[in-house]
Amino acid sequence: MEIKKTITSSLMFFLFYLFAASSPDLPKFSQPALITSAGQNAEVQMVAVLAKRAGIDHILNKMATGQDLEGYKSLLLVLGASLKGLGAAGIDINKELERVKSLIEFSRQKDIPILCLHLGGEERRGAQSDQFIKACLPAAKMVIVVKSGNKDGLFTRMCQDLGIPLVEVEKISDALEPLKNSFSK
Amino acid sequence: MRLRLIKKFFFPRLSLTIVLLILTLIIAFLAGKEFLVQRQSEPIFPSSGLSYHKKLSDYFPALRNTWGDTDVYIFEGKEPGGCILITGGTHPNEPAGFLTAVILIENIFVDKGKVVIIPRANASAFTHSDPQEGSPQRFFISTAKGKRFFRLGSRLTNPIHQWPDPAIYINPSGQKLSGSEVRNLNRCYPGRPDGLLTEKIAFAIMEVIRQEKIDLGIDVHESAPEYPVINALVFHENSSELAALVAINMESFGLKLRLEASPPNLRGLSHREWGDAAGILAVLIETPNASHGRLKGKPSPDLIVEGIDKFYPRASRSGRLFVDYPETGIPLKDRVGRHLASIISLVESFNELYPSKKIKINNIPDPNEVALKGLGFFLHSPS
Repeated sequence: MEIKKTITSSLMFFLFYLFAASSPDLPKFSQPALITSAGQNAEVQMVAVLAKRAGIDHILNKMATGQDLEGYKSLLLVLGASLKGLGAAGIDINKELERVKSLIEFSRQKDIPILCLHLGGEERRGAQSDQFIKACLPAAKMVIVVKSGNKDGLFTRMCQDLGIPLVEVEKISDALEPLKNSFSK
Repeated sequence: MRLRLIKKFFFPRLSLTIVLLILTLIIAFLAGKEFLVQRQSEPIFPSSGLSYHKKLSDYFPALRNTWGDTDVYIFEGKEPGGCILITGGTHPNEPAGFLTAVILIENIFVDKGKVVIIPRANASAFTHSDPQEGSPQRFFISTAKGKRFFRLGSRLTNPIHQWPDPAIYINPSGQKLSGSEVRNLNRCYPGRPDGLLTEKIAFAIMEVIRQEKIDLGIDVHESAPEYPVINALVFHENSSELAALVAINMESFGLKLRLEASPPNLRGLSHREWGDAAGILAVLIETPNASHGRLKGKPSPDLIVEGIDKFYPRASRSGRLFVDYPETGIPLKDRVGRHLASIISLVESFNELYPSKKIKINNIPDPNEVALKGLGFFLHSPS
């Protein structure tokens, strides 16, 4: 009788935990994940740090192509153009757009879900960054954005039109929780 | 007759000439005196936590008795740990870099590991200012018992100490640059032991890195508000994880840090060559300094300290800047505070990534306190 009671309460607790830990509206992603930037920004490194802190099995590849996605179950695209980053990678913006588009195409073919993140705020917006945002968002399953980067409502409008869940956070470190939750089982 | 003519025409002209000559000499004397004032070094009062006070020439004797020789302050903890190098005054027209180093020297105690600080990395560049800029020679900060003076120097080595500039400068890393960059310390790394003065200074700093077994190098700078790399940390690719952690940790101070990767083809800079040539973690930090921007109004000591300018807020409103520039200015205390926050975050992040090389620094002034109480509160009195 006592054992039955313990099993029932444990089951109840487990179900409650599952309910509390998961947000039913947000899509789920699987591990391992490949992290790359769309625009060679430095925030990609911060996403790798957050992924490490969230305990997500991941690899960071700044110049990932379709072939590199083989064996990965999720793609994390960190949005925003950096001219210094593009210079450091030795490519121009058109080459980078080409790489990102081919990566998106490959993930579509292999049915690998894409999580887009924009953590650079207002400073990582502008015509060049917006090219990447507009190219990537239609393929995203979910978007996480630091609020100041969505001052003009571009992310809100696009996500509403495309029917993609959008998570807005105040600061970069706040992106840890939604990232963790979206990979939790 | 002839004597009368001489008396009439020559004597009045002679006396006028003599008066003009004396006036010229007086002006030359006063101007010369003013010119030499710039060579008078501001005193620095290290905290009692200082372990050694060395000279750059102790690491590279060829610099001894030259204008390139400078002070090196070493704070060593009782327990072993990692080692950090902090350089201020690479560009003496970027006062927050220099003041951050001075504030650290006058306050810190190290329990674990080692901190090496070179506050006037290019000592020669402190001895002159940029011509035709109307820059003040000095600025002042009030402390509890009187004012302290600090020099505003130039971006480049004094041409009296290194002259002439070539038409094109090919730096030690093989990059072609405009001729005057031959006097820019942050284009001369990793230096040349048999090169020109600035190249020798760069080589000597590389020797500090090698001999003191530095793990992390932090080069503290400022940039004009119209320059895109602002409120930023530029990092060598070997420091990318460190940089990302720093940016996240900086949020605890309510500060946003822009990260910029050091381009591998931009050679001769600290954040590139310290990493490439010495293999250490290398970063450079920047704050916005109106006093060396091109859009500024009247240059003055107040512009340096208070940061209040007539034109930068207008430029900011027009979207011409890479930073919000308020009417109330961006004062030196806030810029130094931001650098201190970056350094605290760098040390915390370094400790997180390399726990076996932990560094423990005590008494770094809290950036919020610096903003509240001012720089003078954390500086030693002038005597």
